[in-house]
Amino acid sequence: MSQATSELAAAERPERRDWSPLLLAAPNLIWLLLFMTGALVTLAIMSLHGYEAGGRGILPTWELTHYKAFLTDRFFLDILVRSLLMSLYVTLWCLLLGFPFAYALSRVRGWKRAVLYFVVLAPLLTSAVVRTFGWMILLSNNGFINKTLMNIGLIEMPIPMMYRMTGIVIALVQVLLPFMILALDAALLNIDRQLYDAARNLGAGAARIFFQVTLPLALPGIVSGSILVFTLAISAFVTPALIGGPRIPVMATLIYQQGIALLNWPFGGAISFVLLAVLLSILGLALAIAGRGRRAAR
Amino acid sequence: MILAAANLLIGLFLLAPMIVVVATAFTTTNYPVFPPVGFTFKWFHEFLSNTDFTDATQRSAVLATVSTLLSTALGTLSALALARWRGRGQQAVTMFMLSPILFPTIVLGLALLVFYSRVGLSGTFIGLVIAHSVVTTPFVIRLVLAGLAEFDPSVEEAARNLGAGWWRTFFLVTLPLIRPGVLAGAIFAFILSFDELVITLFLAGPGMQTLPIRIYTFVEYSSAPTISAIATVLIVAWVAIGVPVYARFLSIRHK
Repeated sequence: MSQATSELAAAERPERRDWSPLLLAAPNLIWLLLFMTGALVTLAIMSLHGYEAGGRGILPTWELTHYKAFLTDRFFLDILVRSLLMSLYVTLWCLLLGFPFAYALSRVRGWKRAVLYFVVLAPLLTSAVVRTFGWMILLSNNGFINKTLMNIGLIEMPIPMMYRMTGIVIALVQVLLPFMILALDAALLNIDRQLYDAARNLGAGAARIFFQVTLPLALPGIVSGSILVFTLAISAFVTPALIGGPRIPVMATLIYQQGIALLNWPFGGAISFVLLAVLLSILGLALAIAGRGRRAAR
Repeated sequence: MILAAANLLIGLFLLAPMIVVVATAFTTTNYPVFPPVGFTFKWFHEFLSNTDFTDATQRSAVLATVSTLLSTALGTLSALALARWRGRGQQAVTMFMLSPILFPTIVLGLALLVFYSRVGLSGTFIGLVIAHSVVTTPFVIRLVLAGLAEFDPSVEEAARNLGAGWWRTFFLVTLPLIRPGVLAGAIFAFILSFDELVITLFLAGPGMQTLPIRIYTFVEYSSAPTISAIATVLIVAWVAIGVPVYARFLSIRHK
C-alpha cells in the first residue's frame, strides 16, 4: 500500500530529470576530457615554454618566441601557404571528380549501385600507406603513367611527379575522394526525384535542372564534403611524407619533424596551434558563406 | 553517355593504386613493377618468413583487439546516451564526442606524446591502446546511432514495467536489438586501429613497431614487392570484411 502511493507520488512529480544519459556518457566524456582536451592543454602550455637547441632543451620560461619565429620566417610561412594550396587543390579536384560519380551513384539501383559502392568503399577501407605505395609505383619517372604516355607518343620526356606537388595532389585526391563521394551521395539521395520530373515537365533543360535544382539542393553535401576533405588534406601526413619527401615540407611533416626528429616540442606545439587556428578560421568562413548562400537561394 | 564514360575513368582512378599493389605482389622482378613480369608467390613467402613483419602483424592484431573492446564499450554507452538525451546540450555533446573524426591526427599525436611524458605513459602499450580508442570511438558511436534509428525505446520501458532491472533490460532487450550496429562499429574500429599510423608513429616506444609502422619505414627506405604482398593480404581481408558491413549500413540510412 505504502509502496504503491510512493510510486504514484514519483510518477506525479513534475518533470523528474532523467540523469541516465549523463551517466552513460560519462566514461567517454571523461576519457575525451583527459586524453584529448587534457593532452591539447598540455601541448598549449608546452608551446609557451622556451627551448634551447642542443643544450638545456625545454626551458621553464614563459614566452611567445615560437609563435613569433613561425609567423615572421618566410621559410615557415611558405610551408603554411603550400599546405593551404595543396588542401585547396585537393578539395576542388575531389568536388570535380566526386560530383559526377556521386550523381550516378544516387540515381542507380540494385547491382549497379552495389558495384559503384564497392568502388568507393574498397579504397576507403585500404590504409593510406598502402594506397600511397601504389601511387609511388605509378608516378615514378619510369612508372606506368609516364611509360604509357611516352609509348603513345604524347610526351617525349617523363613528367616528374614523384617528389613534386603534382604527385602529392594526385595521390591525396584518390585517398580522400571516397569521403567526398559519400557526403555528396547522402545529400543527392535526399532530393525528391519528383522534383526532376516536375522541372522537366515545366520545360527545363538538363543544364537548367542541374544548376537550379540539383546543385542548390546538393549544397549541404558539397559543404560538408569539402570541409571534411580540406581538413583531412591539411593534416595528412603519410602521402606528403612519402611522395613529397623532405624536399616538399607541409605543415604535417613539419610538425612531425619538430616533434620526433628534433624533439623541439615547444616549437612543434606552436606550429600545431597555428595550424588549428588557420583551419578553424577557414572552416568558420566556409560555413558563414555557405549559410549566406543558402539564405540567398531561398 | 559522357557521364558514364567519365565515371568509368573516375572509378578506375579510385581503384588504380590497389590494382597496382595487388598486381606487383606477383612480379618476378626484385622491385615492384607494373604491369608485373611473370608470376610468383615468392613475396608472400617472404612476408611470412620475415619475423619483423609477422611479429608486427601479431602486435597490431593484439593492439587493435584490446582498443576495439575499449572503444566499442565507450562508443555503445555514448550512443545510447545521445539517443535518449532530451533537452539542452545534446548537440554540443554529440559534436564533442564525434570531434576526433575531424581533429588533425598529427596534432593529437604530438599532444599525446607530450601529455604521456608528463603522466608516465610514454612508450607504453596501454598508452597506444588509449590513443587508438580515442580516435576509433566516434566511428562506433556513429554506427551504433545509425542502428538505433530504428530502435523503439518503448520496448525498454515495457521490459522495466514487467519488472526487469537495468542490467536485465540492457542485456536481454537493448543489446540484442542494437547488436548489428555494435558489431559493425567494432569491426570498423578494429580495421581503423589496425591501420592507424600517424598517432602510433608518435607514441610507439622501441620494440613496439606495429605493422603500419613497419610498412611505412620499409617503403621510405627501400622497395621490394614484399610490401605489395603484405598490402594485398590487408586489402583482401579488409575489403572482404568491411564492404558488406559498411554497405549494409549505408543502405539502411539511405532507404
